Amino acid sequence: MNPVRILLADDHTVMRNGLRLLLERQPHLEVIGEAADGRQAVALSESANPDVVVMDIAMPNLNGIEATRQIVNRNPRTAIAILSMHSDESYVIRALKAGARAYLLKDSAEADLLAAVRALTEGKSFFSPAISKILVEDYMRQLESRGAEDTYELLTTREREILQLLAEGRTNKEVANMLNLSLYTVETHRTHILQKLNLHSVPELILYAVRKGIIA
Amino acid sequence: MEPEEAKDAVVFKRSVQPLQWGAQVVLLASFGGMLGLMLFAGVDSLRALRQVQSRNVQIRQTFLLRNRALEEIRSALYQSGTFTRDYLLERDASRAETYRASLQKVRGEMDAALERYSRSLDAGEEAPFQALQARIADYWKLLDPIFRWDAGGKLARTDAFMHQELFPRRATTLEIADRIASVNEQELSNGDERLKDIFDRFRYRLGLMLAITLGVGALLALATTRHILRLARDADLRYRQVTLAQGKLKELSASLVEAQEQERRAISRELHDEVGQSLSALLMELGNLGAVAPGDADLRSHVESIRKLAESSVNVVRNMALLLRPSMLDDLGLVPALQWQAREISKRTGMAVTVDAETVADDLPEDLKTCIYRVVQEALHNCARHAFARSVRIQVVQESGRIRLTVLDDGQGFDSTHTRGLGLLGMEERVTHLGGRFHLQSQPGHGARLRIEIPLVARAVGAIA
Repeated sequence: MNPVRILLADDHTVMRNGLRLLLERQPHLEVIGEAADGRQAVALSESANPDVVVMDIAMPNLNGIEATRQIVNRNPRTAIAILSMHSDESYVIRALKAGARAYLLKDSAEADLLAAVRALTEGKSFFSPAISKILVEDYMRQLESRGAEDTYELLTTREREILQLLAEGRTNKEVANMLNLSLYTVETHRTHILQKLNLHSVPELILYAVRKGIIA
Repeated sequence: MEPEEAKDAVVFKRSVQPLQWGAQVVLLASFGGMLGLMLFAGVDSLRALRQVQSRNVQIRQTFLLRNRALEEIRSALYQSGTFTRDYLLERDASRAETYRASLQKVRGEMDAALERYSRSLDAGEEAPFQALQARIADYWKLLDPIFRWDAGGKLARTDAFMHQELFPRRATTLEIADRIASVNEQELSNGDERLKDIFDRFRYRLGLMLAITLGVGALLALATTRHILRLARDADLRYRQVTLAQGKLKELSASLVEAQEQERRAISRELHDEVGQSLSALLMELGNLGAVAPGDADLRSHVESIRKLAESSVNVVRNMALLLRPSMLDDLGLVPALQWQAREISKRTGMAVTVDAETVADDLPEDLKTCIYRVVQEALHNCARHAFARSVRIQVVQESGRIRLTVLDDGQGFDSTHTRGLGLLGMEERVTHLGGRFHLQSQPGHGARLRIEIPLVARAVGAIA
């Protein structure tokens, strides 16, 4: 099995060193490069073509979210894990919309990073438990204060199944293969799910799944 | 900058004097004096006119009275001649006696006229009047003998008496009467002269009075005008000072707000990016340390306590940074920052806050973004702290050329025409500085509605002013 090739993007040298040390203790992980800002990260992704990019948000020249958007646009197969100080959901949703598939908090990086890289190599999404906790709590509070009904109850069993797979980061095609359904059926289910939950995009759907505790 | 400051210093040093006591007394005396002069002139004129009029009437009446008396004397003289002749020529004794009685009556009338005339006698008339009286006495004395004449005597002497004695004597008497009449006329014209004199004196006095009044009035008007102009200039100066000071205060307050915002942003960034990141790196390295020395239980417990410390520090730093100025405002735009703020206040107070801002762009101008964020922050603070609202609705709408914000709460409300705290003042100041409008409406028991509207294009004007 080929080692997972990882690019680190963070403007803090100490942080990069720490991350490299952490990752390289694992035999199947290889850090192939380090970038000190967003522009360098985009350029290195282009030239070195890493499997995973570990990306900070607050970086000079080009911030991590913009860099993520550019990298994913050029190569959708590159899995990006945001590693940030920010725990607010507005950052999470921005990062997801830009194409990131994992969101980690820096203060729990040491505990979560390896799990996140593993999830990404398996084609799944990953969120720091701290982030999941915040998102779930906010969601519960909103439901409570609005007195709104839990829309999850509106979904059929098949729809819940598909919701989980999509939220884990699977494509429509992968879901169709796994469940032995046609691509068209999966797409219809997806539309229904988004409508029932009043969501507008897959990133919002992922966020929803995290809030509901469907994925971690 | 320096010359401008110097100029301002001069402007402020020239302070404005209040109206002094001296000036008040002078003004009062001048106006009072002028009014007094005018009153005096008026009363004096009326008095002089009445005097002239009464003198005139008196002179005319005296003249007419005396003229009539003279006329009576004259006609009595003529009648006496006629009655005398009739008496002399009449043969019938009883009829002659009637003529004699008529003659006596005429004499009585003449004496009465003389008596009347003598009462209003002037100095220049005394000599001719005495002559007239003497002549008239002579005249009557001349007539005395004829009543003693018998019929024969009358017949023989009448003709000669009439032509040689009576008629000449009557003629000279009439002459004297004429002389007195001319003196009387002279007296009339003298009276006119005197009247003219009085009138001239009066005219002179009136003219003088008017001239003085006019002079004093002109002086007074001049002084008053100068004083009023000075007051107006002072008022204008004061107004400009106040406007200048107000403008400067506004500028100062705006630049203070701006400076505060910059400071907050800098500190927030520093805390978040430097301190927070360093603490995160520290955590990371602690993990690596634990991995390097896995067996040592003592070391591991130390590492664990350091990790706990660092973790709580990261949280403290993160919260401090967000409270100072949420990084979303700069990284992601206004709406994520508002949503974060709404979530935070919900979490802390249990108040339900909804943000409706779908039309708002991410790339709003910096000052506008900050202004709206801070206004919402203050409004939410008020809702939670003072209004005890249960739910708040925040609506931001971006239209062509302007942005509108509405904050609606169901709190206990207040009398928005009276109660205005410092926080509200600060909000209003921020909004008007960007050329926007600020409107807060509330009634006790009916919640509150805050509406602001800020232009998107003309903001540069507000920023300069």
